[in-house]
Amino acid sequence: MSARVFGVGELVREVNAALAGTFGEVWVKGELSGVKVAGSGHRYFQLKDAEGTLSCAMWAARADRLRYKLADGVAVLLRGTLEVYPQRGSLQIIVIEVRPEGKGELQLAFEQMKAKLEAEGLFAAARKRPLPALPQRLGLVTSSSGAAVRDVLKVLSRWEHLSVLLYPVRVQGKGAEGEIARAVRYLGRYGEVDVVLLVRGGGSLEDLWAFNEEIVARAIATCSVPVISGVGHETDFTIADFVADVRAATPTQAAEIVVQRLEEQERRVEDGAAAVHLSIERRLERARLRLHALEGSRGLARLEQRLKELNLRLPRTESLRQRLRSLVGSRHRRLEGASAALFHWPVRFGAPRRRELVTVRVAVAVERLRSLVRRRGLELGARERALEALSPWRVLERGYSITAREGTADTPIKDAAGVAPGERVVTTLARGALYSLVTGRAGEQGELFETRGSSAEQTNEAGRTPKPEPRGPGRQGREP
Amino acid sequence: MSKETFEEALAQLEEVVKRLEDESVGLEEALKLFERGVKLARRCRTQLAGVERRVEQLLAEAAEGEEGATAPFAPEEG
Repeated sequence: MSARVFGVGELVREVNAALAGTFGEVWVKGELSGVKVAGSGHRYFQLKDAEGTLSCAMWAARADRLRYKLADGVAVLLRGTLEVYPQRGSLQIIVIEVRPEGKGELQLAFEQMKAKLEAEGLFAAARKRPLPALPQRLGLVTSSSGAAVRDVLKVLSRWEHLSVLLYPVRVQGKGAEGEIARAVRYLGRYGEVDVVLLVRGGGSLEDLWAFNEEIVARAIATCSVPVISGVGHETDFTIADFVADVRAATPTQAAEIVVQRLEEQERRVEDGAAAVHLSIERRLERARLRLHALEGSRGLARLEQRLKELNLRLPRTESLRQRLRSLVGSRHRRLEGASAALFHWPVRFGAPRRRELVTVRVAVAVERLRSLVRRRGLELGARERALEALSPWRVLERGYSITAREGTADTPIKDAAGVAPGERVVTTLARGALYSLVTGRAGEQGELFETRGSSAEQTNEAGRTPKPEPRGPGRQGREP
Repeated sequence: MSKETFEEALAQLEEVVKRLEDESVGLEEALKLFERGVKLARRCRTQLAGVERRVEQLLAEAAEGEEGATAPFAPEEG
């Protein structure tokens, strides 16, 4: 029997050709184990299940494109070609593609990154920095177009005193993670901001991927000011959210956190101010109540009544006092003029001793006058005015006249019966006087009662019939 | 005024309120506390309004010790 004898290498080649012909590309599922990265960057690992093990090799060029990390225990579905490695003669799969089993590779990548950073302590609550008391200067990292920036600015516009510095970045696509990381670092270092908002609107896991990248997570973790993240919708969690000091569900929410902080601070201030005022008012109210209780006693009630009366009187008293003061003032000036004259008298006519005596007397007299003036001030003022109104000269100005017998000019004639015809009388007018001879008399009210027919020889140049004397001047009886 | 001062002033204001609400504090001291509380509230209000409203976007990054170029920013409608 003649059997075909192969060379080793030849046989391996034949086997490989047969494997390729029979299987071509295969899909195999199993669990990764013994994953190793060679110096060349190629990955070597075992694919296992309950019944068997297969060696796998994945070249660096392909493996590097994976979002997640090939790790032991990961259930995968992989595609590759079967071959026998000639140097060792062992069967292996040259892997073209590896898919995590039961979940997307992004999901896996996310879980892996999360686990890794968590293990490092990057998400630890102790690392979270509190928001500043007054987050008034904001750094904003997001796209300059789209809903997120609009939503954020709309909410922020609620607070008047707030400045925003936007660092525009691409939020998805290749290289977005680098821009985001750079922006976060930059604003922390140079932006002169109190807090950084890192936001992006909703999207698929793929769209949001940049926020799951390690470089972004590291930038957030090392940013010099607190970072608020608001990426995607409520249900979306990114690595950035875990690292951020404050995680907001959405961009709007991130802005709300800032504005609400400011509003809360304002409320605290206003509450404090109100409480300060209120507590003082309460104290004063208590004091008032105590006072009311005391007012219940009759003595106090009387006192209060008295105070009210005095208060009412006060304005009147004030004006009286003022009038008095001006009156007394004018009289003082007159008295002082008079006393000055008196002081001079002894200087000119008397001996020194006598002068002293006189001086004392004058001083006493002046003082007496002053006190009299003080007491009578008001009265005097009123009388002075009345006197002025009653002055005969004022009456004469109105056309009245005063008639007296010749020689007794200071005794005005008030009764016609007291004068006989033939007597000579003097009539004083406002200007000048008339000398007349009485030729007849009449009774009261101008009614003739005697010698009506006798010829009048009055020399009244004004041609005026003398009127009955008004009461005023007659009563005065003084020399005008 | 620094941020710490706002926090301090606010904390002090709240402390003043606590003291004022203490019945054992006499009227004279209460009046002093009142005056102080009013001053603290005023300081806090000044701080709250301490920043001018402004929205800008960064045009170019700053170099060390310089200021980056900025321009006013308004989002597109839509």
